[in-house]
Amino acid sequence: MNPVGPLLLAALLFCIGVYGIIARRNAVLVLISVEMMLNAVNINLVTFQNLLYPDDPLVSGQMFALFIIAVAAAEVGVGLAIVFNLFRNRASIDVDDVDLMRW
Amino acid sequence: MEAFLDYAWLVPVLPLLSAALIARFGKLLPGGGSEIGIAAVGASLVISLGIAWHTFMQGSPEPFERSLEWSPLGGGFIFELGMLVDGLTAMMFVLVGVVSLMVHIYSREYMHGEERFTYFYAMLSLFTFSMLLLVIANNTLQAVIGWELVGLCSYLLIGFYWEEKSNQDAANKAFLTTKFGDVGLIVGVIVLSAGMFELTDTPFNIGQTIDAAVGGQLSETTIVLGMLLIFLGCVSKSGQMPLHVWLPDAMAGPTPVSALIHAATMVTAGIFLLARLFPVVAQSATVMAVIAVVGVITLFFGGLLALVQDDIKKVLAYSTVSQLGYMMAAIGVGGYTAAIFHLFTHGFFKALLFLGSGSLIHAVHSNNMSDMGGMRKAMPWTYVTFVIGSLALAGFPLTAGFFSKDEILIAGEIWAGYGFATGNLVYYVGLAAAFVTTFYMARAVFLIFFGENRSHHAPHESGAQMVAPLVVLAVLSIASGYLFSPFSGDERNFEQWTATPVIEEGVFPFVDAGTALGTGTVASAPVVLAAAGDGSILHGPPKWHPDLLAIVLVLFGAAVALAWRLYGRQFPRPDPTSQMGVFTRVLDNKYGFDEAGYRFVVVPVRDHLSRWATWSSNVVIDGMVAGTGRSVRSLAEATYRVVDQKVIDGSVNGAAFSAAWWSERLKRMQTGDVQRYLGALVAGVIVLVLAIVAASGN
Repeated sequence: MNPVGPLLLAALLFCIGVYGIIARRNAVLVLISVEMMLNAVNINLVTFQNLLYPDDPLVSGQMFALFIIAVAAAEVGVGLAIVFNLFRNRASIDVDDVDLMRW
Repeated sequence: MEAFLDYAWLVPVLPLLSAALIARFGKLLPGGGSEIGIAAVGASLVISLGIAWHTFMQGSPEPFERSLEWSPLGGGFIFELGMLVDGLTAMMFVLVGVVSLMVHIYSREYMHGEERFTYFYAMLSLFTFSMLLLVIANNTLQAVIGWELVGLCSYLLIGFYWEEKSNQDAANKAFLTTKFGDVGLIVGVIVLSAGMFELTDTPFNIGQTIDAAVGGQLSETTIVLGMLLIFLGCVSKSGQMPLHVWLPDAMAGPTPVSALIHAATMVTAGIFLLARLFPVVAQSATVMAVIAVVGVITLFFGGLLALVQDDIKKVLAYSTVSQLGYMMAAIGVGGYTAAIFHLFTHGFFKALLFLGSGSLIHAVHSNNMSDMGGMRKAMPWTYVTFVIGSLALAGFPLTAGFFSKDEILIAGEIWAGYGFATGNLVYYVGLAAAFVTTFYMARAVFLIFFGENRSHHAPHESGAQMVAPLVVLAVLSIASGYLFSPFSGDERNFEQWTATPVIEEGVFPFVDAGTALGTGTVASAPVVLAAAGDGSILHGPPKWHPDLLAIVLVLFGAAVALAWRLYGRQFPRPDPTSQMGVFTRVLDNKYGFDEAGYRFVVVPVRDHLSRWATWSSNVVIDGMVAGTGRSVRSLAEATYRVVDQKVIDGSVNGAAFSAAWWSERLKRMQTGDVQRYLGALVAGVIVLVLAIVAASGN
C-alpha cells in the first residue's frame, strides 16, 4: 500500500487544524480544529500500523486510534461545556474576548 | 642575717605598696593612712637594719646582685630590673629608712588637720620608694627611673600647698632645674653604655661598667664625657652651683618634706650616684678636678648665702647646699669614704634641724627668725635637740659632723699630698666654710632660742610625736659619727662597711705613688700619707690630728664668740649681716643667679622660645593635622558623592529601574490571547525543526 496519500491527507488535516486554532475566533470552530488535528494523528497511527507492523496481531495503531476517538469525544464534551459556560457569562463565544489572564 | 639579703627587694617594694594602699584606702582609716606608711617604712627599716648588720659584720663583701632580665629590644640587649646590695646600699637603706620613718611619725602631728593629709602620706611613701629604687639599682637605667621618680615626687610635695602661686612656681622651678640636669644624666648613662655594648649583653649594669672601666676596656673619652654628663645630673639634683637655685625655693613645701628632701631622698641622690660609680670617676683626673672645683665653689659660696637669710628654713637650705658642696668636693679629691660618711651623718643632723625648725614654726606660725627668740624655756626638747644638730652641722668635736667633715678635710690633705692643687683648695676653703657654717648656725640658735620672745604667740613645746623623732635623730647625730672615728675598730668600721672589693683594691691610675709623698702642708699630713702613700682609695680609720683639732676648735670658738657678740643678748636692728654694703647686696641677690636665670633663661624661653613653640604648634603642627583632616574629609565626601552615590547606589537603583523598565515592556507579551501564544509556539517549533534539520544536514 502506498502511504503517501494518507500521510499527505494527515498533514493537510493537521495544518488546517493548526491554522484553525490560531486563526479562528469562534470557540466552537477552535474545538473543531482540535478535532481535525486529533483525526490527522489517527490517520497517521493507522497508516504507520499498516506500513510498519502489518502482521501485528494486536493492531496497536488502530487500537490507539480508537482510544483517541474516545478521548476526543470526552474532550469535546468538556470543551463544549466550557464554551457553553462562556456564552452564559459573556454572551459571546469569541476567544479574543477571553483575556482575563492578560497583564 | 644572710637571709635578709634575699629580701632586700622588699625594702623599696614595701613603701610602694604602702603608697598604693594609702592612696586607695587611706581616707577610710582613723589615722588617714599614716599608720600604713609608718608600718611599711618601719618594716622596710627593719630589713634594712638586718642587711646593714650583715654587711657591716662582713666588711666589704662581694656585692650581692640579683636581677630580673627582660629583653624587649632583642639583639643581645638585656634590660635588667635588679638589686645590688653592698655596704653602700645598706648604708643608704638605713639613712633613707630612718629619716623617712622619723618624717612619717613626725608628720602625724605636724600635718594634723591638713586637707590633703592622706595624699601627703601617699606621696611621702612614694618618695621613699623612688629613692630606694634608685639606691638598690644594679643598672644605670633603673637608677635613672628612680631618679626621675624622685624628681616627680619632689615636684608634687614642694607644690603641696598649691593654692598659692609662689608655691607652684617653686615646684616648677625645682622640677625644671633638676630636669635640665637629668638630660645630662640620661645622655651620660647612654654614653657610658655605648662602650659596653661590645663587651656584654647588659651594657647598663653598674658592676660590669665599673669592672670594664677599672680594667681599661672603656676609652678615656667615654669615661670623661659620660661621667661629666652624669655629673651634670648630679649638679642639678644635689644642688651644686649654679643649679642650686631650686633648693632654697623648695622650702615652699611642708617642713617634713624639706627634711626628707634635704636629708635622705633627693639631694643625696647625686652624691650617691657618684659614689656608686666612684671607681669609674677615679679613672679620670679631669673628671675629679671638675667635681672638686664645683664642690669647693658650692661649699663656700652656698654657705655665705645663709648669712643674710631671716627665714630659718632658708638658712638650713643654704647650709644643705654648702654641705653638699663638701660631699661633692670630697668625691673630687678621692674621699669616697669621706663623702658618703658625711652624707650619712649629715642626713641625720639635717633632718633633725629641719624637723626642729618645723617644731618652731608649728609653735610660732612663722618661718622668720626675727619673729622667734627666747624659745629656750618654752621648748626645752626642741632647744636641746636643735643645738645638738647645730653643733653637729658646725663640726663641734665628738659630734658626727666633726668626724665626717674632718674626714673630708683629711681627704683634701691626702690629695694635696699626691700633688693636686684641688686638695689644698678643699682643705683651706673647707676650713673657711666651717667658720661660716658655725657662724650662721650660732646666729640661728641665738636668734631663735635666746633674747626675748618676739613672736605674737605664747610658744609651747610640740607633742610627743614630734619630739620623739627629734630625740632619736639627735642621738644619731652624735652616735653615727663613731662608726668611723679614732674609736672605731680597724676591721669593723664605716670605711670597710661601704667599700667594695673594687674600691678596696683600687688605686688612682693617674697618681704616681712613688713621687707624690710629703708635699702636704699641714704637719699631720705625712702621718696620713704613711698609711696611704700608694695611691689607693682607702686609707684606714682616722687618727687624731691634734693640729687640725686645734684649728677647728679655734675657728668654732671664734665664730660662736662673734655670733654671741652680735646676736647673743637681743635681736639687733638692723641685722649686722644686712649692714655689709656691697657684700650684703651681692648675697641678697644670691650672686645674681636668680636674676640671671630669669633674664637669660626664663624670659627668652617664655617670651621667645615658647611663643615660637606655640606658633609652630598652633600653626604648623595643628595646620598639618587640620590639613590632613580636611583633605581626608573632602576625599571622603568625594568618595561619597561619586563612588557611593553614583556607582554603588547607581548600580543598585539602575538594576531596579532597568528591571522595571524592561518588565513594563515585556509584560505586554502577556496578552491573555491563547491563540497568539499558540502561534508563537508553532513558530518556535518550526524554527527549532528547521535549525535541527540544518544542523544535522551538515
